[in-house]
Amino acid sequence: MFTLKPLALGVCLFALPGLASANALTVYSAGPGALIENLADDFTQETGIEVNVFQSTTGQVMARLESEQSNPLADVVISASWDSAKSLHEEGLLHEYRSPNAETVPDFLKTDHYVAQGVSALALVWNRNSDVPQPADWSDLTETAYKDQVTMPDPAQSGAAFELITGLLTAMGEETTWQLMEDLADNGMIVPGPNARALNPVLQGAKSVVFGAVDYISLGQQAEGEAIEVVFPESGTVIAPRPMMILASTSMPDEAEQFMDFVLSEQGQARVAERFLMPSRTDIKALRPTIEELTLIEVDSEAMNAQREAIINHFREATGI
Amino acid sequence: MFTRLNLRFPQRFPQRLPRITGAGVIMLLTAAALLLLVGLPLLYVLLQAIFPGWSRGELSGAFGLFVPLLSDPELLELLGNTLRLGIAVVMVCALLAIPLGALRALTRVPGGGVWDLIFLIPFMIPPYIAALSWMLTLQPRGYAEQLSGVSASAFLFSFSGIVFVMVLNVFPVVYFAVSRTMMSVGGRYAAAARVSGASAWRAFWRITLPLSTPGIAASLLLVFALTIEEFGTPATLGAQSGYKVLVTGIHERFADWPIDIPGAAVLSLLLVMLAMAAFYLQHWLVTRRSFVSQTGKPAAVERIELGHWRWPVLGFFSLVALAAVAVPIFAVLATAFTGTLSGGITWNNLSLRHFEALFANRGGALQALSTSLGLATAAALLTGVLGALVGYLVVRASIRGKGLLDLLSLLPNTMPGIVVAVGLILAWNQSWWPIQIYNTGAMLLLAYACLLLPYPVRYASAAFRQMGESLEEAARVCGAGFFTTFRRILLPSLAPSLIVSMLLVFAIASRELVASLMVAPAGMRTVSTFVFGQFEQGSPGVGMAMSAVAIFTTTALLVALTVFSRKRLPIAG
Repeated sequence: MFTLKPLALGVCLFALPGLASANALTVYSAGPGALIENLADDFTQETGIEVNVFQSTTGQVMARLESEQSNPLADVVISASWDSAKSLHEEGLLHEYRSPNAETVPDFLKTDHYVAQGVSALALVWNRNSDVPQPADWSDLTETAYKDQVTMPDPAQSGAAFELITGLLTAMGEETTWQLMEDLADNGMIVPGPNARALNPVLQGAKSVVFGAVDYISLGQQAEGEAIEVVFPESGTVIAPRPMMILASTSMPDEAEQFMDFVLSEQGQARVAERFLMPSRTDIKALRPTIEELTLIEVDSEAMNAQREAIINHFREATGI
Repeated sequence: MFTRLNLRFPQRFPQRLPRITGAGVIMLLTAAALLLLVGLPLLYVLLQAIFPGWSRGELSGAFGLFVPLLSDPELLELLGNTLRLGIAVVMVCALLAIPLGALRALTRVPGGGVWDLIFLIPFMIPPYIAALSWMLTLQPRGYAEQLSGVSASAFLFSFSGIVFVMVLNVFPVVYFAVSRTMMSVGGRYAAAARVSGASAWRAFWRITLPLSTPGIAASLLLVFALTIEEFGTPATLGAQSGYKVLVTGIHERFADWPIDIPGAAVLSLLLVMLAMAAFYLQHWLVTRRSFVSQTGKPAAVERIELGHWRWPVLGFFSLVALAAVAVPIFAVLATAFTGTLSGGITWNNLSLRHFEALFANRGGALQALSTSLGLATAAALLTGVLGALVGYLVVRASIRGKGLLDLLSLLPNTMPGIVVAVGLILAWNQSWWPIQIYNTGAMLLLAYACLLLPYPVRYASAAFRQMGESLEEAARVCGAGFFTTFRRILLPSLAPSLIVSMLLVFAIASRELVASLMVAPAGMRTVSTFVFGQFEQGSPGVGMAMSAVAIFTTTALLVALTVFSRKRLPIAG
């Protein structure tokens, strides 16, 4: 054992990267890792400002912000849930900034404190190799053909799935929505967790359809050759904008603003489009159906969020999970 | 102190620590390190549970959360499920791993030390990857169905399925503890029994097994603690069967917006109390009598020839290896080497694209690997040294509050990784620390050391309990100081257990996920956070490719280590 120690110590010293650079901009980002890494690299190349990225899920990013409250470290935060930005703003934690590059971003995707990096929508994802027909609308999945073939992300764990429920509540009314959920549950729908967990069984074919998948992940997989189809239901769907914000506690507001400008620049927005997200700027070409082409349900998210807990509880009751 | 000659009941007459000597200073430093490493984050979690506004620096509403949370009827269900799962896994583990370990220690199993290496592999497969692998294998249209037409999703997504997958993940803890312990007690005492006319079975039941109790009990306690704090398997398999446990409840509070850290802290305290109950049960088991069995140089074990029993025994070992190692590894490789999941296992679908993506260093895969290996090595060394000292302190020294130290050294094993991580963040992300270690790689090291310290401590203290104090006394009589005694007497007899526990630490640290997600500094990735990210973003192929690379690298390292130092590492048998 003693002979090994110096060797092992050497390995540690070699492998432990140095301390994080103090002059770097710190970005916490939910969602596509490749996107934020590309954005950070491009930004460093253009401005010479180093960027440290922490990339994870929205829940993890928020948990980290929450536990760091006494000594915040992040300068820029990108989340996948619009409400999270709203609530950080209400707590007075956000820095006020409107990027000049946000001019062509539609008004409902920007405020004085946060702006969408890109937008995703919710969809049905269907496995082409499955024995069930391609669904066209949400309610199709209650048919017996889809018995035991449907998965759905948990609205308690996926902000996007929660948006979908609120969208359905708006479009179809309470009674019909909860009836739909009950029927789906009776038809054997499972709710296995956040987005990726609902999608994986469908990729392999254990299940055939995802009810309410985040579209860009599936579009990316389809482009890589997975036998899946992303279906935007006829009766309409909801979008999930991904808010980008600067924390008021930042010690580098200028650099943070520069970063925001860069993400909203043509180059940055092209990177967003690459990941099959809708760019928030309307003048950048998307590789997928955009807000104008989709049938959207307009949701009064403020009212809906006020009753978030009640909605989640109702969902649990209806689906029995 | 040199004149004490009554050495027959060392447990009941522990030796007082000398006042100011090398030993005293070391022990003081050890206690301080333990308090800093484990006590501090736990203290912060406790404060967070008591004062909901703690992370904001507010002290209002103390204890306000306890009543509403604890009167929630759902909590009873979570608690019941957690207990049921923990007990079931411990029992199945005992039934599976005690015979395995005993056979390995006391008989000539064909293959010998190779089995030790094989049974170390389950430790290098992250639990959530194992659960995912079983899912990919057994669900409808899974690999099993593609290859043989069998699917068993009803079994997999049930309580038995969860227990099955978890047992396969954690049984090596018991296997190694049992085989190491029996190797050291099985030799001379069993031989003495045989000489006195006992049959081999009788010697086993009356001598070897009872004398191995501390090691077995300690390892089963670890299994219980590991089970109730494990997140990956219940989250992956339990979500589909509706089986919720405390840890999934804690994670829900952390991962669902809005985040409820105080609520999670309260639930964590419950989990800790559960583990404490288990700890006291184990403590009662091992301290009510003396298990001193090593009073001299360890003698080589005379192993029993199996004869015709060779084949059934070999079959048993192979079956366990198949389920615990071959199936998960196959699923990992199948996913990594097929172009698409929907394409299934066909020749057309064979593809290297996930590995190409990996080696093109997408997302810093190689850097993540070296970070993980470096941190795991450092964590193993740190916890090994500290674990040996704490184990010594707890068993030998008679200082006030050593029970507390013993408890502290076990507690992290019962804290979900995410809670330890939050405790660490709350404790270290303070501007008043003279050296800022928050947001550096050192946080990961602290997290791993804190979470994994219980392994070396358990193994070391079990070893110290079996070691007669007369050995040390003899050394002191001969004029050796504390350091010499520790190095020349204690460490060599401790080495087998300690090295095994350090290998476990290395294996677990190299793939720890939950705490890594929380405390990894911005810009630094470990294997597990990389893999997790790939799954979250819908690239299971790349995720599995990375898992494959990591599992094979860590295994190869351990094999190399074993071959390299064959004489010193007991794992090669």
